[in-house]
Amino acid sequence: MIDDQLKNIAEQAKIDLQECRNQNDILNIRAKYLGKKSIVNSLYSQLRNLSEEERPAFGKKVNELRNELERMIEEKEEELKLQIVNAYDSVQVYDLTLPGVYFPPGSLHPLTIIRRKMEDIFISLGFQIAEGPDIEDEYHNFDALNTPEDHPSRNLADTFYLDNGYLLRTQTSTVQVRIMESYPPPIYIISPGRCYRNDKPDPSHSPVFHQVEGLVVDKGISMADLKDTLQFFAKAMFGPEVKSRIRPHFFPFTEPSAEMDISCVSCQGKGCRICKNSGWLELAGAGMVDPNVLEMMGIDDQKYSGYAFGIGIERIAMLKYNIPDMRILYENDVRMLRQFRREII
Amino acid sequence: MIISARWLSKYIDLPETFEELVQTLTFTGIEVEAIKEIPALPETVVTARILTSEKIPGTEHLQICMVDFGKGPLQVVCGAPNCHSGLITVFAQVGSKLPEMEIKKTTIHSVESEGMLCSEKELGISDNHSGIIELPPETPIGISINEIFELPDSIIELEITPNRPDLLGYIGIARDLAASLNKRLKLPSLRNYPGEEDPSIKLTLLLQEPQKCPRYTARIIDGISIKESPLWLKIALIKSGLRPINNIVDITNYVMLETGQPLHAFDYHKLLPINQENSHPAIIVRRAKAAEEFIALDGNLYHLDEEDLVIADGQRPSALAGIIGGKDTAISNQTTTIVLESANFSPSTIRKSSLRHKISTDSSYRFERHLSPAHLEKVSNRALELILKVVGGRVCNELYDTYPEPQKPLYLSVRPSRFEELIGYELDAFLIKNYLQSLGFQYILCGLWQKEPINEYELLPQAISLDLEKNDNQIFYENPQMALYFQIPPYRVDITREADIIEELARLDGFDKIPQKKIIHPIMDWHAHHIKHRIEDYFRQSGFYEMINPSFIDPIKLEYLGEDKAELEKKLIRIVNPQSSNQSSMRTTLLPQLMDNLLYNLNHSERNLKLMELGKLYWKDGNKNCETLHLTALMTGLNTLDHWKVKNEPIDIYSVKGVVEGLLDQLGITIDEMKKVQHPWLVEADNLAYFSKGNLCASFGKMRVKTAEKFNIDIITLKQDIWVLDFEINTLIELTRTYKTVFSPLPKFPAVIRDISFLINLSIPYSDIVKSIQQVEPYLIKDVNIFDEYRGKSIPDGLRSISLHIILQDYEKTLTEERVEQVIDSVIKMLENTWQIKMR
Ligand SMILES: [Zn+2]
Repeated sequence: MIDDQLKNIAEQAKIDLQECRNQNDILNIRAKYLGKKSIVNSLYSQLRNLSEEERPAFGKKVNELRNELERMIEEKEEELKLQIVNAYDSVQVYDLTLPGVYFPPGSLHPLTIIRRKMEDIFISLGFQIAEGPDIEDEYHNFDALNTPEDHPSRNLADTFYLDNGYLLRTQTSTVQVRIMESYPPPIYIISPGRCYRNDKPDPSHSPVFHQVEGLVVDKGISMADLKDTLQFFAKAMFGPEVKSRIRPHFFPFTEPSAEMDISCVSCQGKGCRICKNSGWLELAGAGMVDPNVLEMMGIDDQKYSGYAFGIGIERIAMLKYNIPDMRILYENDVRMLRQFRREII
Repeated sequence: MIISARWLSKYIDLPETFEELVQTLTFTGIEVEAIKEIPALPETVVTARILTSEKIPGTEHLQICMVDFGKGPLQVVCGAPNCHSGLITVFAQVGSKLPEMEIKKTTIHSVESEGMLCSEKELGISDNHSGIIELPPETPIGISINEIFELPDSIIELEITPNRPDLLGYIGIARDLAASLNKRLKLPSLRNYPGEEDPSIKLTLLLQEPQKCPRYTARIIDGISIKESPLWLKIALIKSGLRPINNIVDITNYVMLETGQPLHAFDYHKLLPINQENSHPAIIVRRAKAAEEFIALDGNLYHLDEEDLVIADGQRPSALAGIIGGKDTAISNQTTTIVLESANFSPSTIRKSSLRHKISTDSSYRFERHLSPAHLEKVSNRALELILKVVGGRVCNELYDTYPEPQKPLYLSVRPSRFEELIGYELDAFLIKNYLQSLGFQYILCGLWQKEPINEYELLPQAISLDLEKNDNQIFYENPQMALYFQIPPYRVDITREADIIEELARLDGFDKIPQKKIIHPIMDWHAHHIKHRIEDYFRQSGFYEMINPSFIDPIKLEYLGEDKAELEKKLIRIVNPQSSNQSSMRTTLLPQLMDNLLYNLNHSERNLKLMELGKLYWKDGNKNCETLHLTALMTGLNTLDHWKVKNEPIDIYSVKGVVEGLLDQLGITIDEMKKVQHPWLVEADNLAYFSKGNLCASFGKMRVKTAEKFNIDIITLKQDIWVLDFEINTLIELTRTYKTVFSPLPKFPAVIRDISFLINLSIPYSDIVKSIQQVEPYLIKDVNIFDEYRGKSIPDGLRSISLHIILQDYEKTLTEERVEQVIDSVIKMLENTWQIKMR
């Protein structure tokens, strides 16, 4: 009689467990059979009604039933867990050729990209960045830079003048003057910025353009240092295989003055359309700071010497990215800009 | 290395103040790690004799003592286990202020106690609290304890760099200080002890491993008795961090602290002979045998191997060389004859054995750092002198000294010109000589420099000059290769090249003398540089294309924007010689050019556009020209590119707001005010400006149809809004200049997130709702975030549904379920009362 009752309970539990689909079902089953108000607990409470002799045998059987139920529930629990793990690990059918979700970035302007590259190169050499105003006076733009009163660059055809007597700087050397006015040597600076010259826009000219100028004033600075710096820059910008040379030129604020060329980045010096078959491309104007300039700034030109250089950002961008016409840079066509989204800066 | 200033002062006159001493040590290159001052004790703490002692019944240790301290006697209760009658100890009278207590008259177990007998710890001398201080029986009664303990004193913990083993002793430190302070080094005077010939007390000394042990000396002293050390010796060791053991061991330790050279003493009679023919006790310096067993002084059994060097007697190891002595041959109370070892061991041997057996001792620490074998006999004599003075006894036989290959002299040359090249200023050659001589270097001659060190006197170059007077620098600057030759003292094993000597000179003359040659002024505004990059990169990453437009503008276009003509006239800077009328003035806004860029790109079939320009604006303010950095951006079209999986949402006010607020958040700018902007080109309703500390930072808004029309863009046919965003870059740079990230400790207890949803009147702004919620429990409610807003179907007119995450966190303890419920309940009650919400 008792045996049958216990057997039925086990049978029923087996059926109940088969219906279990998740952890919650298991919890319910556990409560039903083994919890506080469970079937097994009610069996235990029957013990009290039994005689002293019957108790041990009955107790033993109920214990066995409890252990059996415990085992069955645990088994089912394991089975369910395994099902979940197997489902997680199983192969799902995706079309892996469909494109992934990705929000493409925009792009900085190539002039910004080149400016930042140039800044990084010169910062790595120990230069600091100095900036100054676009709107300047004649003193900082011409007089302090040793430009004679009657020099043609002062003409209306070359320089933009403003209605309040100022002008738009024609080079960022103005910043160099301002730094030399305020700081004693040693000075190692570059000044990137916007410059203005009254040139009609054409493939290689723009009335507004950008420059990075450099200035070094220290003890024992020679043209050899200038050559090193410019060559370091050229190789860092265009690659280690680039050759460079300097050749004599004229600027009012440097003595001696020079222009720097690099071997043509398109034909590697063999001669092509871009280098007009010369094999060389003009890259920078440079020279040793004119003693007059140093003197005007109150720097002892017997103790100190220095060099200066100026490099056009547009020119570098055109050479580096093979852009044939400067005006393309000012069209701001996003189809052009999109091509620069992968540039690292 | 722990040193006492009082002990150090035996070898050099210290600077007037302790601060000066620390300063000098630091700038001589000896780093001061910690300082402990032992103050003088009150004069009421005196020596005293315990006349009688008697247990208090019913207590374990307490005794009633009658104490004689020159006055008295007084009754004192003492609990120390070593308290007994006849003992001379330290007595603190009532009223004495000790480092950690004040002595008061008390009653203990109904016994009156008028003062206290003290341990070392109670006096602040050491951490020893095992019993009261035991003073030698000859100590006079009633004298101040400061005299006996050399108080006040300062204990200095020094960090000695591994290249300077010569600084692991008081004399080495004093020598460096003397050189630096230009003072005389006071060394203890030493005499030779010939020792009387005694054939009955001889030693067999065999040095089998001269590579591992370049020199071994041993000295036999007979007729000694092992006792406690005298007080001065014990105090000296305690102050330097060592425990006194017995007179002989204490003396070897004292001499090690003094000279840096470790010593060891064996019990002569416990050293076994080699065999019967050679029956003198033996000392053999040899490799251990494989698996040889050795019981050390620490009581542990070590299994040695052939890489270990041992000091063995005729049968077994009696010390692991340079590391630890053996138990079998150790000094005991019965010892009457000792062998005093003063030896040198190779650093690598000691290091390897010490590592292998995991034993580190004061001795191994020193040998690992390469000591010199040159002066072992002097150290031995110093210890001998102290033993004879403190312990007594007699010296037997000559010093046993095995030194197969004596250390060769080392000559190095140093060029004054090189000093200048390397350090940056001229140092007088006479000073060079003086500094090095005070370090124990011996000046030999002036001659041409030679890179390689020289080991024999005969190989030194021809002397060009011998004497060197003050300011005798000319020959060195006429010929930069002219150098001073020195013999390097053997204990300076770290000096092997000219550069090492120059380092010594620079250190002693003081690094503060090194001039700052080039003063490069900080010109660059790094902060502005980085913020500009951060802003540019932010827009690039958010899908914007950067425009670069000329600085010129057509003034007509400013009128298109609806700007006031008279106002414009005041600020516009015109160009005298423009190339055309549409480039005739400097730009005061970036917007018109960006509108042209927008039109250009729309005409080239680009429909979804995010454009921005970061550039200067130019205007005049009276006579002043102004240039400021500004950023303007335009957004139109779809928010994302066409994608099969992502919904194509048109750019709406929240995506524009997101761009503005995203940047402000990245820059760490706290916005304290938001209000409408009144730009004539913006639709009145949908715009907002952001202020921080009263400064306009950014604004955005939707462009009017009429304004766009002026720029040839028809918003109605285009069916796209045009959004304008503006940022005051100069303001952003200045507001972020002082931003600082400060780490805050991570919360130890987890945050709890609860969600609530409710219906609320449309007119109530979200920010007000959040503010009101946070005020309910400002300490616990860490954050409130919206995760859904819904209006329309199933929501009554004039209402909207809002769903919020409320994030609760307690930094002090774990939040209980009840507490969380309680907070959420009060939030809901507040919302119901304030805004008449209906929970969903
Ligand atoms: Zn070419």
